Amino acid sequence: MVARSPIRARGPVGREHGWEVSTTARKGGLELCDLTPYSKVLVRAGVLSKAAEVLGCALGLARRAPDGTLVAGTGPGEWLLVSGAGTWPALADEIGGGDPTALTTVVDVTHGGFLIRLSGADSRRVLEKICAIDLSDGVTPDGAVFRSSVARIVCDVIRDDDGGVRSYLLHGDRSAGQYLFDAVLDAGSEFSIGISGYREKEA
Amino acid sequence: MIRIPCPNCGPRNSSEFSYFGELGSRPAPDAVDPAHWRHYLYDKKNPAGWTTEKWYHASGCRKFFAIERNTLTNDVKSGRPFGVESSSEESS
Ligand SMILES: [Zn+2]
Repeated sequence: MVARSPIRARGPVGREHGWEVSTTARKGGLELCDLTPYSKVLVRAGVLSKAAEVLGCALGLARRAPDGTLVAGTGPGEWLLVSGAGTWPALADEIGGGDPTALTTVVDVTHGGFLIRLSGADSRRVLEKICAIDLSDGVTPDGAVFRSSVARIVCDVIRDDDGGVRSYLLHGDRSAGQYLFDAVLDAGSEFSIGISGYREKEA
Repeated sequence: MIRIPCPNCGPRNSSEFSYFGELGSRPAPDAVDPAHWRHYLYDKKNPAGWTTEKWYHASGCRKFFAIERNTLTNDVKSGRPFGVESSSEESS
């Protein structure tokens, strides 16, 4: 059995953690990468709950847990945890424990969504063409999170710079994955965007 | 473009939202006669001026909230989470 991203793998194809992935070499510069195989866990809990305290991340902000999991406050009482393919974020197990009376839901949404990374100095200019949010450093610095319309698709957008290079993670419903990937490529064509193959979690 | 001030997400394009009509207080279904229930459901004030409305942020926080909007100018005064009362709010 093999899992497939909603985004068609381009170039040579390989297998990683049971997923079919593109093994195209990293392009460098402005690039778009399908990271859908990464584990994605949705958490819902009260904003004043023990779970929220453990997650340690307010609405609109992201941080990295010690095990490398990206924790993003995507909505009021809503978090997205992203960890490497084939892993389960340690935090997801910790948050259930504290208070048995608190309603906390933890759902694996890995196969229900797409995850793509847009990286490069020009990534802001690309995203600005298809998203109305102010992407300046003052409003959305590294670690900023928001949910908004990107090319008319509702996306969680996480500014997650990669070694000092501006980078955005886009997460949304699986059925919109291919469309959004193509829309970002189209928006980036004037900046010479390229596709990079899948890579393991860099954290 | 109308900019709607979401209390959770900040100002956003109105295309991110769904409009849910004038804000009125919902009568208790078991303590109201059909005429009043019909009035609550269908009779709107539809003023030419300031009104309080319910909106839903479908492309953002996915929460309902209330705003005050001028139907003549599309000026919007404030956005506040649902259930937080405003001094100018009227019940219908
Ligand atoms: Zn909102």
